[in-house]
Amino acid sequence: MRRSRGFSLAEVLVALAILAIVITTTIAMFAERAKRMREASETILAYQALSNEAEYWRRESFAQIDNPDNQTFKSDLDILAPLAPYTTAVKVETTRADIRNITLTIRWSRREAHLGVARADTGGSGLW
Amino acid sequence: MTRFRERGYTLMEIVVVLAIFGVFLFITVTLTNEMRRNEKKWPVNFFSHPEVGSVLARMRRDIYDSTALPDNFETYTSGPDTLIVYTINQDGTAETVVWDFTKKGEVHRRAFKATLLASEWMARGVPMFLATAQPMPSGQDAVRIRALDGSKLAIDEIIVPRPHA
Repeated sequence: MRRSRGFSLAEVLVALAILAIVITTTIAMFAERAKRMREASETILAYQALSNEAEYWRRESFAQIDNPDNQTFKSDLDILAPLAPYTTAVKVETTRADIRNITLTIRWSRREAHLGVARADTGGSGLW
Repeated sequence: MTRFRERGYTLMEIVVVLAIFGVFLFITVTLTNEMRRNEKKWPVNFFSHPEVGSVLARMRRDIYDSTALPDNFETYTSGPDTLIVYTINQDGTAETVVWDFTKKGEVHRRAFKATLLASEWMARGVPMFLATAQPMPSGQDAVRIRALDGSKLAIDEIIVPRPHA
């Protein structure tokens, strides 16, 4: 009596299909993980720079906020070196005569991070 | 009677096994290369390190509540590796706090009541910190805290003391 041995073509194909799915999923998972890790590193650096810049804008004299020549980043941006090339922007909106909404933006490789600072004219020393 | 018995693997079996092994090898090499590239480009995320978080949190509190940043105290002189702050505690008493970054991998916080050492706290396994004065447009003196991962800047934080009456 002849006994059949080994796997049929269908069995081998199914096994290979399962293996292909597992390998593809694993590669996709690692690629996604690497992308998210990189984005997290970028975000951490960008928000450190934005938060330092906000400290300057909190203390800028109210009169200087409206000056278009003054609407640039003032802090040291060394920490953004890994994000190069990047651009920065400062947008000042007047919602009321004594209120300014300042939006600080950093843009790099199809991503951007924003931080807003609201300033009120208290007539004081321009401390806040 | 001689019985013929099949031994070893067929060529096809070996080719399939090597192909699968090759795929895994490719994944490993790709991931290792990417990891090395990231290591070169990106600094370590120290914010996820509890010890570094503790150092920054304590330092922020000391600087926010400080009324002066003296240049000298006892044997300490203010500089990138030594930060001296005269700070107000929650109970209203004042103390001089010396942040000592001189020892590699360690940060020491020494609090003095008058000239007596009242408490000492330390953190190990932390990066090299640097503290420098940072003038602000308001005329206030802020403190810029930086930490390096090798030559890469990993932490850069400007901390401004709260205004005190």
